[in-house]
Amino acid sequence: MTSAADPKAPQADRFRRETPLALLATRGGLILAIIGVLSFGVLSSPMFLTAGNLLNVLTNMSIIGIIVVGMTFVLVVGGLADLSVPATIACGAILSLALQPMLGTVPAFVLAITLAGLCGLVSGVLVGYVGINPIIATLGVGTIVLGIVQSLVGGVIVYGTNPATADFVKGRIFGIPVLVLIFALVAIAGHLVLSRSYWGRWTTATGGNPIAAEASAVPVRAVRAGAFVLTGLCGGLSGALLGLTLQSARPLVGVGYEFSAITAVVVGGISISGGAGSVPRAIIGLLFVQLLTNVMVLNGVRTPDQGFVLGLLIAAAVALDMALRRRGIA
Amino acid sequence: MLRSLERLVRYRVVIILAATLIVATLVVPGFLRLSTLALGLDRGASIGLIAIGMTVLLIARQIDLSVGSIFGLCGIIAVMLQPSLGVWPAAAVGVLAGAVLGAINGLLTVVFRINSLVATLATMLAFRAIAHWLTESQPVPGADIMLSITLSKVYLEIFTLRALLFVGLILCLHAWLTWTVAGRNLFAVGSNPEAATASGISPDRTVLLSFIFAGVLAGMAGVLQSLTTNTGSPMFGSEILVVIIAAVVVGGTRIEGGKGSALGTLGGVLTITALTTAMEFQSIPAYVQQVVMGSILILLVVLDRTIRPGPQAKAAPAT
Repeated sequence: MTSAADPKAPQADRFRRETPLALLATRGGLILAIIGVLSFGVLSSPMFLTAGNLLNVLTNMSIIGIIVVGMTFVLVVGGLADLSVPATIACGAILSLALQPMLGTVPAFVLAITLAGLCGLVSGVLVGYVGINPIIATLGVGTIVLGIVQSLVGGVIVYGTNPATADFVKGRIFGIPVLVLIFALVAIAGHLVLSRSYWGRWTTATGGNPIAAEASAVPVRAVRAGAFVLTGLCGGLSGALLGLTLQSARPLVGVGYEFSAITAVVVGGISISGGAGSVPRAIIGLLFVQLLTNVMVLNGVRTPDQGFVLGLLIAAAVALDMALRRRGIA
Repeated sequence: MLRSLERLVRYRVVIILAATLIVATLVVPGFLRLSTLALGLDRGASIGLIAIGMTVLLIARQIDLSVGSIFGLCGIIAVMLQPSLGVWPAAAVGVLAGAVLGAINGLLTVVFRINSLVATLATMLAFRAIAHWLTESQPVPGADIMLSITLSKVYLEIFTLRALLFVGLILCLHAWLTWTVAGRNLFAVGSNPEAATASGISPDRTVLLSFIFAGVLAGMAGVLQSLTTNTGSPMFGSEILVVIIAAVVVGGTRIEGGKGSALGTLGGVLTITALTTAMEFQSIPAYVQQVVMGSILILLVVLDRTIRPGPQAKAAPAT
């Protein structure tokens, strides 16, 4: 496999492709890992394989999964990571609840998501058009947005006023929880856009080689900005759903979600250097991370302590990707 | 026109600092009293010590997002070891722990070739988790309450111990960056690693040492903070990152590497400190302060990218 790629080596250098080895390691390895976590879960806790617990995992996964879809675009386009996710989640959660009495449930929901998308637009313009490092830009924008949202409501916890919405969000259609349905819709739409549309191809091209993409008349800046707008919208949607489910929103409701999303995408085998990746792979990564988290919780590992495992996973996945990439190209 | 603009950008620290001080003096009564300044300087010293390490890293074209976590964790280690080792050995172990954590960051970047932004993002999470795990998410009290009083004693009307340490170290850094070969090498590595390698400088070694340096400084700041407050808390330093990057960037150090100065960082830290103190005296809520810090950071980074001296004004956007 690698010897066949040798004559094309310079080409491979110009446009980063998946190396077969990386593909095998990430796909096969991940499925093995999921099986491993599943069997460990079954063996270690009698609670693991109950319908209630698995449903819990699925609902939790849906909330983070919506963000993972957006984050996949950010990584594929070569945007490293979006750290403004906690802010956009808070924006979605707090505003959708706080504006409910004034505007009604649906307009408040839509407005909250739109505003979160607007935050994404600001990050997107800073990253795509001004050319600021994405992590610094989203860190700054996230801080500002979180501060503004807090000052809008006076820095307090906001409670819902319409319990019927909570029933709807927590309810089921055809036996499937609404949250899971929404996540599935977002994931399918994201997958189709990334793999079948112009925009998706542009996203991959921009991440793979921005200069070549620009020479091929791809609107590189807009594509970069678009990934962050999408993540903003996803964060807003996820936050609004979270707010409606809990019927309360604290300013720090979204802290930690950015790391869960990044871990999922990176563990799914999507390279941090951009140019390759798909939504289903990110979701397989998410499945692994969620199952692992669940098993840790069932075994009495506290949430703050789980950060160690997440951090380790990010570092290991990225290091593995870098190592395979170097070997694949050399 | 362009030259004067360039000069404006270059000496912006002085302008921003002066403006902040003037506004603060006008708005806050008694701002220029020595006791207020001493208080501000003492609090700024924590940020300042970390900013020293961050300046070095940014010049070397790296960044450490985990400094806040190192700050918290080292303080916890220093406080938790006090009963078994005694106060000062425990403090030394705390600072040493900073070096180890910095070395981990450095190794991830140098050996495993992970982008330092991503590597330190991961360790930021991991180190914070260790802090939570060690303390079970509870603040840990120190052994000697009197020590914190000694540490907050004000010398020469204005300097506390750590403020003195900060000012001393930043002057040392200035001397090191401007007058020594190693300091000049740092700029070479940051502005063009390939050229630096060709001239016989090892970028890997420089980067690794910079990470360890930043870890030691963050550890030192964390230990001093914990000794002064007589507590080790897993929450210490969790909101410090934006402030530190803002302080360093106000001082004219570029995120893109290869450019920066110690005196600039001193100015940046003083600006941020004056601003924080003034806002606190006006009882502006913390979340509004966050908005201000974030805005300063974004504005200056945008300024750095759009106004760049020299003919290469229109370079391709980085990523």
